[in-house]
Amino acid sequence: MSARFGLSSLLLVAFSVGSPSAHAEPLAEHQPYAQASLGVRVGKVSDSGYDPFSSSDELTQFSLGLGGTFYRHQRFSLAGVGFWDYGEKSSTARGASTELDVHRLTIGPELRYHLLPPLYFFVHALPAFAHTSASLQDSVAQVTRHARHWSYGVDAAGGAAFEVYGAATGFPRPRIWIIAEGGYGYLGSTSLEMLPDVGEGPQRPASVDLGSVSLAGPYFRASAAVGF
Amino acid sequence: MCGALALGCGGRPSSWDAPYVAANQNGLAPAYGLTGSVAVVDTALKRVTMLSAPSSLTLTSRSIGLGTDLVAARVSADRKTLFALSRGVQPQRTPGDERPQLLLIDGGTTPQISQRYTLTEPMDQLALDPQNEWAVVYSGAGVVVNLNELVLVNLSQTGADALSFKTLLSFGGSPRRFTFTTPLAVPGGDPRRFLIVERDADLVLIDLAAPEREAVTVPLPSTDTGGTASSAQVAYDADSASIAVRVTGTTSVFMLQLAAPASAAQNFSVVTNLVDVGAQPSAIDFVHNSQGLRLVALVGSSAVLVDPDTATTQSVQMPAAFSGIRRITNELNPAAAAASDGDVALLYGPNIPKIAYFNLSGAPGALFRSIESYDIGVAVKNVIDVPGERYFDRKILETPSQQFYVLDLRTRESAPMKTNAGLTLEVAPDGERVWAYNPGQTGFASVDFANLHPVSLIAERGVSNVFDIESGDGQRAAVALHLAGSAGIGATVLSALSPSTAYAHFYSGLELGGVK
Repeated sequence: MSARFGLSSLLLVAFSVGSPSAHAEPLAEHQPYAQASLGVRVGKVSDSGYDPFSSSDELTQFSLGLGGTFYRHQRFSLAGVGFWDYGEKSSTARGASTELDVHRLTIGPELRYHLLPPLYFFVHALPAFAHTSASLQDSVAQVTRHARHWSYGVDAAGGAAFEVYGAATGFPRPRIWIIAEGGYGYLGSTSLEMLPDVGEGPQRPASVDLGSVSLAGPYFRASAAVGF
Repeated sequence: MCGALALGCGGRPSSWDAPYVAANQNGLAPAYGLTGSVAVVDTALKRVTMLSAPSSLTLTSRSIGLGTDLVAARVSADRKTLFALSRGVQPQRTPGDERPQLLLIDGGTTPQISQRYTLTEPMDQLALDPQNEWAVVYSGAGVVVNLNELVLVNLSQTGADALSFKTLLSFGGSPRRFTFTTPLAVPGGDPRRFLIVERDADLVLIDLAAPEREAVTVPLPSTDTGGTASSAQVAYDADSASIAVRVTGTTSVFMLQLAAPASAAQNFSVVTNLVDVGAQPSAIDFVHNSQGLRLVALVGSSAVLVDPDTATTQSVQMPAAFSGIRRITNELNPAAAAASDGDVALLYGPNIPKIAYFNLSGAPGALFRSIESYDIGVAVKNVIDVPGERYFDRKILETPSQQFYVLDLRTRESAPMKTNAGLTLEVAPDGERVWAYNPGQTGFASVDFANLHPVSLIAERGVSNVFDIESGDGQRAAVALHLAGSAGIGATVLSALSPSTAYAHFYSGLELGGVK
């Protein structure tokens, strides 16, 4: 509900600010050739395998994005975008300290539609590659156990970007955008068979099997971007 | 952020926030060894983690819910079943609230719940029949508690039909100890089992063939100074239906003879007698000699033989003031034990560096020659039986010091085993070996009865218990548990038949399995 309200507000602002100059400004100058973004991605992970590492279902990640437009046609443009999301979560599992580090790389095409020069909407479906590193402080074995794996999936999302700063005309000049997107990030499950690193801990340690974890779930990303 | 984004909301089961803590409350042990598995009590999650060994070097775990507010757990004498008594949700607020229950878990190589008895009221204490026919639940903690109400659970039945509620008539006091007899040959009826309940000032006899019939309460005699006495030991002889009670504060032994019913309302009667043995005995037991049944009372440096029929006594001088007696006739000659006219008993004491064999098969006049003592150099505080069919003629002599003895009853040879620390002994259920360890230390050892060869082992973490269980492939696995406070559940598993830490596997984090 609150996300929908936020999007409506954004549209309202876009119309009120952007409409007077809609016919005066050339659109292409607002279709960024290159864009770099910095933001926060918040995902909801409902998989029970996430429970040992977090007391809530939320996974917050720092998000760094790069993109470049390579095709334009009137209000439409096609860009290539990529994101690196990194986040870590720590908790305790029945008194044992746990930690989960997640790197997520996504790259792929993004279709944009400029409703107004300072406002565009976009959708993208980005193949995703994630590396998860789970750790568990094992007090009995007196060692840190790990489970490190790659997993693969896709991020499908849509969103809107609003230009909050930028000259009306002229090129190249930096423009600052506020971007919001929401979607679903799918990732396959990875095993949580926790083992000490080779040479550490007792001889022939059996794994601590916490099952598997999938970081799939809906997410929201908010970022600020600089575009040229 | 959670509310604003409507994404991150949602938590995890509270179980993840409940650290494992090794059980240490009264009535509960941290772990129990069964025939094919090890049960580790996890009170924080109201469950028991059952560890079993698919092979002698591997371990698997499975958690079984025990019910709310676990108050007592016991292992059956044959180590096949774990009994867990829980109080349930108290006070009950809804019809769906969990009731008090007695849960039976099969402790084989594939642990599972074998039976569940729902109780009407929460109770705290549990006593088990060595023959696995009965369990007794008693001592509640409600607003009003009938201290003398017993719930007899007939383990051969299921559901509510298995429960019998029995209130014992009381002269004061409450149940302290229970003895389940073998079938007693009571005149006027078939041999049947009895439950002897020792209370503060009396004994209660319950006929287990008809538990609904009225129990017989027998007050204990007063002390020699006129005070209130209590029972210290009960012994019985099945063939003669005789019961003897060692009573505190008196030089007399209290004898009870179960007899034919004196009226139609009874199914048996009790004839009592007091026999003065000269001083307060330290131990009693029934034996057979060439003249028949006798009660042996160890009194100072004498063994007093009491004829239950005539109450006449005969004293035998012992080479030392032995205070413990263990009949070993069956172990020496199991085939002839039933027809034996002369028992053999092992005498020992916690302050005497000797043991003695008391042979009662000689002529009455040769009793002075019937006790043969052996100086073993250390006192014996306990005699541990060896189960199974192969080494039943061995006894483990537990000493107050850092030693134990493996005693061969046939050859009368004892093998001293010295340890470098304290001592806890665990005899393997198959009767092939004994494990020794000092809780908290890394060292532990096995002694194989076949060759008395000790194998010393050093675990990589402190050992809290060692259990010897059957593995899924028909071999045997030794499970050395590492339970320390709230660190978690860990174990080292190794072959019990050829123990070596060079091949052992280390398991930990077992408390994290099956958390929901």
